[in-house]
Amino acid sequence: MTGRPDTQWPRWEVFKQDAPGRPHQAVGSVHATDADHALVTARTLFARRPSAVSMWAVPDHAILARTQEQDERGEPLPDLASGDVRTYVVARKTTHKRSMTFVDVVGTVDADSPAAALALARERFPEPPALAWWVFPDAAVARTDDTPGTVESWFAPAKDKTYRQQSSYGVVGTHASKRNPRAGGPDRD
Amino acid sequence: MTDALTPELRLALVERLTALADDELILSHRDAEWVGHAPILEEDIALANIAQDELGHAGVWLSLRSALDGGSDPDTLAFRRGAHEYRCARLVELPRGDWAFTLTRQFLFDAHEAVWTDAARASTYAPLAEAVEKIVREERFHLQHTALWVERLGLGTEESRRRTQAALDELWPLAAQLFAPVPGEDALVAAGIVPDLAALRERWTTLVTAHLRKSGLNVPATPTQEPAPRTEHTEHLADLLREMQEVASQEEEGVLW
Repeated sequence: MTGRPDTQWPRWEVFKQDAPGRPHQAVGSVHATDADHALVTARTLFARRPSAVSMWAVPDHAILARTQEQDERGEPLPDLASGDVRTYVVARKTTHKRSMTFVDVVGTVDADSPAAALALARERFPEPPALAWWVFPDAAVARTDDTPGTVESWFAPAKDKTYRQQSSYGVVGTHASKRNPRAGGPDRD
Repeated sequence: MTDALTPELRLALVERLTALADDELILSHRDAEWVGHAPILEEDIALANIAQDELGHAGVWLSLRSALDGGSDPDTLAFRRGAHEYRCARLVELPRGDWAFTLTRQFLFDAHEAVWTDAARASTYAPLAEAVEKIVREERFHLQHTALWVERLGLGTEESRRRTQAALDELWPLAAQLFAPVPGEDALVAAGIVPDLAALRERWTTLVTAHLRKSGLNVPATPTQEPAPRTEHTEHLADLLREMQEVASQEEEGVLW
């Protein structure tokens, strides 16, 4: 880059819960001016047709992300010990299936730094082995209202929409293996 | 229920439904003009979604109309009518302007549609009461989104405030037309078929005035003169229709694909 100022709005990672009892899953990101704006935009981009009952937006700078490859290379973790114990949300990716989502939220830990939270997360959620981890302070999460009014106006309209699944579009979503069984299963693409 | 309507009520309801549909159809087209041009990709998609919702609402109103006027075809009404046959308000005809103009207009319109459809849930005409249920919830979300933008533009930079205030000054007098009755509307109100526009206007004014002030904007004086009838349009409508109807006008019989 040539020193031109970055005019892009802050980035927020978006989590979507498909149904009660299901984990919040990272589905993508949005650029937005603030937390409320991020949630409204996230709803439009990620839940206009797909099912949802709750969404979160988390500023990207609040997330400590760690991959298996970074562990293998022994990359150092940021030392951000604050002395204050906070609650951290733990999310992880354990499979390459379901490529439309990244990490799933598995729980929370209390720790005095993101690195300590990650270490605790590894102890508490050892199986199956994680391909990637995200930890972020619970206080950094902006959440949609769970009032009936919000559920009704944000998430109910999706149920009546057409083209809710990729497979509804006649020309996309057919895996090569469906046309030629020898091409391999969905995990090989 | 359709049979229970007198010919006068039926005619008036067709007028009201046409006004509702034409507002949505023309505003949808203006919003859709932003596709590929909005300031950020996320908002480009969001505004296209709003445009698509409004287009869907136009379809709802025209289907209700079709059940009352002997089976008119919504596509034919959209693509074969000239400007003089349209019944949209001037507010929705104006060119899209800048982002502040588009979002301020959409906010004023969404607030109007939200209060109208909310009140119409109590309509004695069952097909209307049923149809608005779907629209109400979509409008509630539109209104959250557009109210959010008005607030951020109003309280943003000096430039965003100046542009938003200029948009509001131009749009405010035109909004009065949304609350002007169509011919025969009094009888529809008396029969409990559509909401009373004077009461809705009060509700709307309270709602939008509070939000505009919270957003650091000056609410202009409300015009005292009667708004123009919906049969009179700005010069912009004919241009818009020429573009919107261009493809359909080349195929007299219409084409399916």
